[in-house]
Amino acid sequence: MSLIIKIAWRNIMRHRGKSLIIGAILFIGALLMTVGNGVISGMDAGLQKNIVEGFCGDALLVSDKQESDNVFLEFMGKAVAPITDYPMIDSALKTIPYIKKWLPMGKNFAMALNEDGGLAKGAFVLGVDMQHYRKFFGDNLKLVEGGYLEGNEPGVLVPTGWRKLFGDYYDILFSPEGTKLDTTALGSGITSRLSELTVKHSAVFMGVNNENTTTDVRVPVRGIVKYRSLNHIWGSFPIMDIESYRQCLGYFSALATSAPVKKEDLDLLSKSDDSLDNLFSENDMIVAQKPAAAAAALTKGSLAGSRTAERPNIDPDAGTWNLVLLRIQDGKNLNKTVQDLNRRLAEKKLPVRAITWKKATGFIGSMAALIKTSLFVFVMFLFFVAIIIIVNTLSMAAIERTSEIGMMRAVGARKGFIRLMFLGETAALSAIFGGAGIAAGIIIVNILAAFNLTTDNDMLQLLYGGDTFRPILSVIDVALAVGQLVVVTLIAVVYPIRVASGITPLDAVSRE
Amino acid sequence: MNIIEIKGVIKNYALGTTTVHALRGIDLTIEEGDLMTIMGPSGSGKTTLLNIIGCIDKATAGTVSVHGDEVSSLSDRQITDLRLNRIGFIFQTFNLIPVLNTLENVEFPLLLKKKDSRAEIRSKAEKLIDEVGITEFIKHRPSELSGGQRQRVAIARALVTNPDIVLADEPTANLDSVTGAQILDLMKEMNAREQTTFIFSTHDANVLKYAKTMVKIKDGIVAEKSAL
Repeated sequence: MSLIIKIAWRNIMRHRGKSLIIGAILFIGALLMTVGNGVISGMDAGLQKNIVEGFCGDALLVSDKQESDNVFLEFMGKAVAPITDYPMIDSALKTIPYIKKWLPMGKNFAMALNEDGGLAKGAFVLGVDMQHYRKFFGDNLKLVEGGYLEGNEPGVLVPTGWRKLFGDYYDILFSPEGTKLDTTALGSGITSRLSELTVKHSAVFMGVNNENTTTDVRVPVRGIVKYRSLNHIWGSFPIMDIESYRQCLGYFSALATSAPVKKEDLDLLSKSDDSLDNLFSENDMIVAQKPAAAAAALTKGSLAGSRTAERPNIDPDAGTWNLVLLRIQDGKNLNKTVQDLNRRLAEKKLPVRAITWKKATGFIGSMAALIKTSLFVFVMFLFFVAIIIIVNTLSMAAIERTSEIGMMRAVGARKGFIRLMFLGETAALSAIFGGAGIAAGIIIVNILAAFNLTTDNDMLQLLYGGDTFRPILSVIDVALAVGQLVVVTLIAVVYPIRVASGITPLDAVSRE
Repeated sequence: MNIIEIKGVIKNYALGTTTVHALRGIDLTIEEGDLMTIMGPSGSGKTTLLNIIGCIDKATAGTVSVHGDEVSSLSDRQITDLRLNRIGFIFQTFNLIPVLNTLENVEFPLLLKKKDSRAEIRSKAEKLIDEVGITEFIKHRPSELSGGQRQRVAIARALVTNPDIVLADEPTANLDSVTGAQILDLMKEMNAREQTTFIFSTHDANVLKYAKTMVKIKDGIVAEKSAL
């Protein structure tokens, strides 16, 4: 073997020109692959961090009646199925050790109506208990104008992206109630058209629901917010207080569950179908003497847009939700954890199932994988071109060395020796130049990461996977690059080896 | 004892649409320890015959036996091993491995054989290099050697495995007369000492005085065979 390595190395040095051509191709290919892997891995990690920590948690519980896993970004998809047994789920989650925290949330499609006529603008609306939401996510939102939702007060937080869309399409500019319009926070596109815009302090939403009767609700705009990262995506998700959201979607509200019911009503509700005839007996059970307290409470409390003080204390958890966001303990394998969670949920016969954040966010969750695949295909194309050039160069080299190879065969070198000699030469080139390409790629990735480049640009944030460009390289990424180099070497050397091992001693003699 | 037996060997080459009849029916036996010269004008078939004897080329018809083994029945690997273990080659144009120095070129067949230890290989190679008189060029690569020095390296490489047969295709063709004579002296000495069978192809009449047997080839057939 040392003889083969010696001959291979000296041949590389002897044919420096050809070696440099092949080496340069291998170097560039390995460099591009390594840097590309680093960027995509950084993006993947950034996307995961920002989506998990800023929008939807590690995993989610959805109703077992929910058909699609893509609960956040399924355009024109079905409504997200409601979860009506949250208190039971809440109790169950308390017993699962690896769940760090959880947050119930409403999420569905609603139309934001243009009160001046014309078309309505659709939006994915989130319904939340704001205190719980902020406790779960921390500072994932940046307040641009106004304030957050306080207590049980009705209202909506309008993201900057959605406000811009509304301004562009309907000439309406949302501004928080009770505040003066802060023009410094507006983009230049809106500021230049300010005189054409109507400023509104409330928005009217109409829920879109296949199963229930939906309602138009007017909610005051409490604040203008920007998601700290990936606002380009999440900027079309207004955040509404949960009770207004439930009313908008026609869901059972917490207020309804807390309204007192008279004894006569309970008796009526407890009657079996067989007793229906009794309803028409002489002794009527129902006597309307004055408006029912529950009805009064519902009317009063569910009036979206009323002040906090007008709403009684309610337990927001009691009503209907669509999702429960979960944060899992660090270091846990997400897929295995979700499997275990589903097993536990099934054991407790809870009508929900767990899905990962990647599934819940549809194409966004798969974006890094898609880009990584695209890059892989691009680099493989590059390597394919490299293979053709290397094959051509090595085959020419084999033919040029007919005398030498034929003589080796004449004095007793088997075909296997010739094959190994060529493989050794190509492998040495791959190891040296490809290895240098990978090493240079690792250095470049680390330099790029050290710069800590940040951006507010929405599109760049998508590429960065957040607001900071932080490419990273895992051992797997490096192993992948090495693996590709090995494959390229093996493929590139097959034909030249056939040419070289096909050279006979007679070919060498005939050449003389 | 016959080391090589050739019976009815015919060799035809296709050259475009025509067929060249290089050998038209050769019958020849070569005894062990012989120092045979095959003579004839250019194109007479000397090199073709030598290539067939050395298992570098295959006969179109007829049989060639080396040490009793019928060559056409052997696989490519067996033929390669036969060349490695029993036959040494000295080519007209030296044919050394350009990236290896003198010592490494001579060691090359022994390294392929993988029978001797590294020290034994080194010792055998150095001994033969000394015998052919190029010790001072032991670290030189072929490009740094003269024609005579390269041919000496080729002889050392051909002999280092202690083969039964050494085939030399016009070994003095590219050498000046003095160097040519030195090379032939060396081969004659080896033949006498090791009983190695040498077969030269040449059209140089001066070579005759070194040979024990002479075979004349003309138009692809043996025109004359005589002891000298």
